[in-house]
Amino acid sequence: MQWEGDAMSAPSGDEAVNEIEGTDEAEATLTALIKAAFPHERVPDSAYRRAADTVRCAAEESAWMRVKLAHGLDSLEALAHGRFTELSPEEALPLLLRIQHTTFFGFVRQTVVVSLYEDEEVWEAVGYEGPSFEKGGYLHRGFDDLDWLPDPRIEEYDGDPLVEVVSDLPRAATTKSVRGAAVPAGQSRARAGRTGRGTKGQQA
Amino acid sequence: MTSIDHSTEAVVIIGSGAGGGTLAYELTKAGIECVLLEAGPYLRGEDYMNLEWAAFDQMAWTDTRTTSGSWRVAKDFPNLPAWIVKAVGGTTTHWSGATPRFKPHEFRTRSTYGRVDGASLMDWPLTYEELEPYYTRAEDAIGSTHRGGRPPLPANNNYKVLAAGAEQLGYRHYATGPYGTNAEPYDGRPASIQDGFNFQGDKNGSKWSTMVREIPRALETGKLDLRPDSHVAQILHDRTGRVDAVLYLDTEGNLHRQAAKLVCVAGNAIETPRLLHLSSSSLFPDGLANSSGLVGRNYMRHMTGSVYAQFDKPVHMYRGETMAGNISDESVHDPSRGFAGGYYIQTISLGPAFMASFVEPGAWGPSFTRLLDAYENTAGCWLVGEDMPQESNAITLDPTVTDQHGLPVAHVHFDDHPNDIAMREHAYSRGEALYEAVGAVGTHRTTPYPSTHNLGTCRMSERPEDGVVDGFGRAHDVPNLFVSDGSQFTTGAAANPTLTIVALAIRQAEHIAESLRSGAV
Repeated sequence: MQWEGDAMSAPSGDEAVNEIEGTDEAEATLTALIKAAFPHERVPDSAYRRAADTVRCAAEESAWMRVKLAHGLDSLEALAHGRFTELSPEEALPLLLRIQHTTFFGFVRQTVVVSLYEDEEVWEAVGYEGPSFEKGGYLHRGFDDLDWLPDPRIEEYDGDPLVEVVSDLPRAATTKSVRGAAVPAGQSRARAGRTGRGTKGQQA
Repeated sequence: MTSIDHSTEAVVIIGSGAGGGTLAYELTKAGIECVLLEAGPYLRGEDYMNLEWAAFDQMAWTDTRTTSGSWRVAKDFPNLPAWIVKAVGGTTTHWSGATPRFKPHEFRTRSTYGRVDGASLMDWPLTYEELEPYYTRAEDAIGSTHRGGRPPLPANNNYKVLAAGAEQLGYRHYATGPYGTNAEPYDGRPASIQDGFNFQGDKNGSKWSTMVREIPRALETGKLDLRPDSHVAQILHDRTGRVDAVLYLDTEGNLHRQAAKLVCVAGNAIETPRLLHLSSSSLFPDGLANSSGLVGRNYMRHMTGSVYAQFDKPVHMYRGETMAGNISDESVHDPSRGFAGGYYIQTISLGPAFMASFVEPGAWGPSFTRLLDAYENTAGCWLVGEDMPQESNAITLDPTVTDQHGLPVAHVHFDDHPNDIAMREHAYSRGEALYEAVGAVGTHRTTPYPSTHNLGTCRMSERPEDGVVDGFGRAHDVPNLFVSDGSQFTTGAAANPTLTIVALAIRQAEHIAESLRSGAV
């Protein structure tokens, strides 16, 4: 995966956008931001850290986003008086609402929303089982194990056919409409019923 | 594989999905040599992946497009107006499989619904009765369940919730189909293993697509030259206005010319009009076959929406066939509901990855994550119905943005018609009521996804001034040019379009074969 690549090496000295780019503090702030924006009690920190890595790698691909990310994390810490990582998700939320329309936040949100939820630990947390073909699908693994509702009919209804055109005019008026072409002859329920059977093909 | 010389005037088919793939098989079966040009790669079952974004990146048509209009897709996914496939098999690779037929009155909506302000309703130059035998053939080709003596699929978890709710609301016309995936082995393909992956391509081959059926069979005839990774840039014509060749690009950007005696365009309803516009010339200054001015216009995408409902018990909606659950009770025309036309309610399921991106685009924070936290206990339905054709909803060439080949990209403009909005509101309410009737603790209205049903941009008409093609899909202006996909639809009907595209393609193939024999084209 991307986050295991060279981008792990932090820029330093003259190459860094600002003092916190590439530091542990930036990493921790970004992880805390993602956790606050996408709070799940059952998702472990390791999944949030992977999402943070993905964001940082994505930012490396564009000088603009790299600058936005570095500045964004710095100013988020400024808003939180340097203690953003100590805030609970509930405490962090008002700060995120203040920055939600920034390019920085939009970039983080957009990147996380497509990466966090393809993480196996997140799948496990929300109760999703991932790829299934190699396991033989769910044919013998619970595709129909819901037991709190009655087993439903699976065949099509064999009672009265669907009335496909319900006229908004009184039935007596349907064959001689004053609206001419707007309501053609043959819209009575009886006629609609006949055409209804026709649509069921060989089932008619 | 058969190799047809580039200077041989062949029947050239552009696009290998429901329309183009079907046409290629039907024509080669009749002994007619065809060149099938597919813009995407040749992906096979073993290439498909049970991962939502990886599969999307592998097969979706992600070439740049631009958007405008009041539809929310233009804001949330401005460069992804449509979610369709670029691979051999086209969008049948990732289609869900619902195969309802159009209803007879849906071929004559102008006569049935009357005048609807702002809508360009028109009757098809084709009746249900004329298409009926081809519907049967299309169902047999696809292997639609509940049809032709084929058995229904069993009830999966998501269907159990849908059907129980339907029963509570008094609906009766619900079932696990008709559906284009095998309940038992059929036509050389195995029964479904209920693996839950449809939108990613079916690795098991139980689901019908032209990649598993029509294309291999067309290749077996020895009459098909299939060329994947071949993106058509222009259709050329001679001095009399007959098309005589196409120009296409390979993956390296090299241009190739294939001579043609007849061209069938089946690139889906965004690329098909784009190509006709790209093929404009001094003889056809407004785009090929566009004397009506309607190429690209009347773009329809179906009224859609989803309701996801949370329960206090597990559902596991992702297990099993995604859309093997259908309610037809609302698919009728009943103006007392406050709108014309009807809609279906069908099961749908997304994995967490797609849920996160599509359940409420742009959302974050606790109200958003609560929807994902409830994933295991969630049931979902898709609402799909007829939308009103409007001339102002259109595919045009973007004047400033070009694709990787330097060709102007398609610009997609769409505004909902008030009828679409009224229908969507009704459908959301019924979806919510359905789930609440069986104990939902919460429901969420999900906005339409990028369009999967793209229709109407080269509409059929009786008269040349009212549309682009005739009742067989032949261009009014160009005798040897056909449109073979959902672009032909005069109006959209409520039904999922694939079955009708296949039926029209089978019928068109017969017409083309006969016309070639008699010299009529």
